[in-house]
Amino acid sequence: MSETLNTQKPRIDGALKLSGGADYTADINLDGQLYGYPVGSAIASGELEGLELEEALGMPGVVDIFHHDNFDSTLKHSPNSFAEKNTVSEPRLPFEDTTIHYHGQYIALVVADTFEHARAAAQNVKGKYRANDQVTSQLDELDADNVAGLPGVLQEGDGQSRGEADAAYENAEVTLDHHYSIATETHAAMELHASTATWSGDHLTVYESTQGVVFQRHALSHVFSMPPEQINVISHFIGSGFGGKLFMWPHAIMTAVASRRLKRPVKTVVPRQSVFTSAGSRPRSMQRVRLGARADGTLTSIRHDGSNETAFVGMHNDTVISATPSMYACENVAVTNRVGEVNHGMPCPMRAPGEAPGLFALETAMDELAWQLEMDPVELRKKNFAERDPASDLPWSSNHLIECWDNAAKRFGWENRTAEIGAMREGDEIIGYGMASQSWEAMRLQCSARVTFLADGRLQVSCGTQDIGTGTYTIVAQTASELSGVPIEDIDVRLGDSSLPSGPLSGGSFATATVLPAVKAALDAATQALIDKVTQDGQAFSDVDSESIELNDRALTYGDRSIPVTTLLEELGIGQVTAEASAEPGDEKNDYSFRSFGAVFVEVRWDPGISRLKVERIVSTIDIGRAINPMTARNQVEGGLVMGLGMALFEQTEYDKSGYLYNANLADYIVPVHADIPPIDVELLDYPDYHLNAFGARGVGEIGLTGIAAAISNAVYHATGKRIRDLPISIERLLMAN
Amino acid sequence: MADATLDATVGHVDPNDTSSLQTMELTVNGQTHTLTLEPNVVLLDALRERLNLTGAKKGCDHGQCGACTVLIDGRAMNSCLLLAALAEGQEITTIEGLADEDGTLHPIQQAFLEHDAYQCGYCTAGQMMMATSILNDKDIAKDPASIKEAMSGNICRCGAYKNILDAVQSAHRTIEGA
Repeated sequence: MSETLNTQKPRIDGALKLSGGADYTADINLDGQLYGYPVGSAIASGELEGLELEEALGMPGVVDIFHHDNFDSTLKHSPNSFAEKNTVSEPRLPFEDTTIHYHGQYIALVVADTFEHARAAAQNVKGKYRANDQVTSQLDELDADNVAGLPGVLQEGDGQSRGEADAAYENAEVTLDHHYSIATETHAAMELHASTATWSGDHLTVYESTQGVVFQRHALSHVFSMPPEQINVISHFIGSGFGGKLFMWPHAIMTAVASRRLKRPVKTVVPRQSVFTSAGSRPRSMQRVRLGARADGTLTSIRHDGSNETAFVGMHNDTVISATPSMYACENVAVTNRVGEVNHGMPCPMRAPGEAPGLFALETAMDELAWQLEMDPVELRKKNFAERDPASDLPWSSNHLIECWDNAAKRFGWENRTAEIGAMREGDEIIGYGMASQSWEAMRLQCSARVTFLADGRLQVSCGTQDIGTGTYTIVAQTASELSGVPIEDIDVRLGDSSLPSGPLSGGSFATATVLPAVKAALDAATQALIDKVTQDGQAFSDVDSESIELNDRALTYGDRSIPVTTLLEELGIGQVTAEASAEPGDEKNDYSFRSFGAVFVEVRWDPGISRLKVERIVSTIDIGRAINPMTARNQVEGGLVMGLGMALFEQTEYDKSGYLYNANLADYIVPVHADIPPIDVELLDYPDYHLNAFGARGVGEIGLTGIAAAISNAVYHATGKRIRDLPISIERLLMAN
Repeated sequence: MADATLDATVGHVDPNDTSSLQTMELTVNGQTHTLTLEPNVVLLDALRERLNLTGAKKGCDHGQCGACTVLIDGRAMNSCLLLAALAEGQEITTIEGLADEDGTLHPIQQAFLEHDAYQCGYCTAGQMMMATSILNDKDIAKDPASIKEAMSGNICRCGAYKNILDAVQSAHRTIEGA
């Protein structure tokens, strides 16, 4: 293997991030900028009858207040198309009508000369409401089998059902039928959403904390009826997003309109409370899983009926059943997902959407089946290993799930598990072991990139994707270095700017598999452009067949002749050679099914005397193809496991009966902190998946968060005998369970 | 960084209403700045919006996340909970002042780099300032449980906690060995 790829490299943006020099959106201060501060609705359902603005307008420093009656009536909806790269999170335009759909819905934007003035005035903007008696929640009494009569949308799982699941269930030797639920969760990225807009003539520049500069540019283009070329969206550094920053939110439109009207840059940093109410969540989901099996553990029927809440302002199907058809060899599978509206803010994808909630239900059900069958949970899964993807009936491109189960079990010491509940003890603590399978679909999309040979020997690589903390800057540099021979410290990587060649969202774990082939294509194109120049008459390689010239170790070589690129540029008398190129997937999806798999094992400790539950250690073995940078890749998996620990034990976005979101802050919405973190052992298998791309990488962002919540709940059962099917497993829930 | 910096004393207060303004001297990373601010300006916003020292981050504005942690006379504090005027006369250290003047990274910065003790980098300044404040405490910095307890006010939503712990312990060994 090469020196640069599949090698642990410190991040090339590390020095900036460690010195305070990385420019996150809210760090950008423009000359003459004003400050926006949003005002959110105090009610969740009803009508906004008016605003009391006089006091706020008279407060120091206030420049203007934007709201329904004075907002820009020329705005248009974005078509909200993923294919056309103009998806928005909340399709409704800000202040579009006076109906209140959720608590925190923006009813005004105060703009003032300082942050303090804007905030003070915003606190004095009062809405006059006519509240509906109660919020509407179509799923309030939901369990997944009684939603059929609701007006929610029925989603049969894209034809992924097969066989006769219901008939097979009726005839099964062993059956299981359970309901599961997961509370609403919030991404709670550390960086607050933020947008700074500035206009120069008919050009708009937006500094935004976004996982998709290209998507936001296209969405703004539709909203403002402007050609995309007149809009630039910049996001050099992002304080992560976890899906919450994939698509544009209303604050960006409000800010751009305010800037245009006031002819000044406007910077809006969304307050934390508004990030909770008005910038996305993983919606509450309810699931029912029915399994049928033979006494030897062979699955004969899987029926997985899911549902999730969405908002009245937009449709979000969280597809919690997405992994189920592919997980196990079973001839009879049926999956459905239904969606019902509720007076909450718009949900959106949150890290491992579908798979994380869906595998909680399925992998908990598998554990329950193992107990019913008196089988080892690992053996039950092995018994049902799918040799090819049973959903598509295609061979796996690469699948090492059995090795994941075996390796993780060995590292964990699974053989020490006793098959009785509560039998393993140490001191006052009862020990529980649990495990689950992990999975995430591998995807690759179209991507463009540009590579430039510079006269000083440096190589510049540009792509309109972004680095949300996953390490994209670094793996792009590693790749360019590997292919060109230019040392990694001499590679300049430019990302996070929509004027660069169109790159993908930072989401879905597809950025690596998507971007790196484009980097290679652009480097090849730039190399060819250089070769074309140096093979012309009078140039260094004019006597040579251009197809025999290669780029090796920062030089063009032909046989024994090797001339550094810098020398060639000097002889040519030009400062640089640049080329742009695109790469896209071929028809490999017709031939193979692409999925990453893993296995996660967890030990929990339950101290009944003081009612303390803690995760003692986590072991995970993951098959993600090739890791371009094992150090940053492992960090991704560990981060996913940590977020899954939060999903299992702590996280719930809480609404009261009036729809008021009452824990909209980082003290009451509980996320894992240092003290919660057990030793984590992550093993990355190294089986390059060359069917997906030439680098063998399948991506790594989501998979760590799948399966872990089930592994924890399964371990809790092993320790306590209490089967908690509703997340989070709060202490109250555990104590009240039978 | 942004192309332009803000004037530290004018332009961000209402020129027509100077009645409540206070002039104060803040010593940040060894440099003294004279600021004229309204009394409700917190240190974090003074650093970020007036002095363009944007290394300290705003993650909650409520003292709940630790992203804004700076050192006040060597003690870690949430700069979003401290009025700027109350920091007068004290040594304020931000992430911008952690490395040596010649650019040599502080041992905690070097350890964070080597252990990949971050992902998005947004909480990182706060994590490092908190870590710096406990590095000299022999009891805390030796024992992983004590480090985790002391650092639990600094949320890392990316979940790089394992590497942060490794980095803090590594930096402690570096400093002890020095």
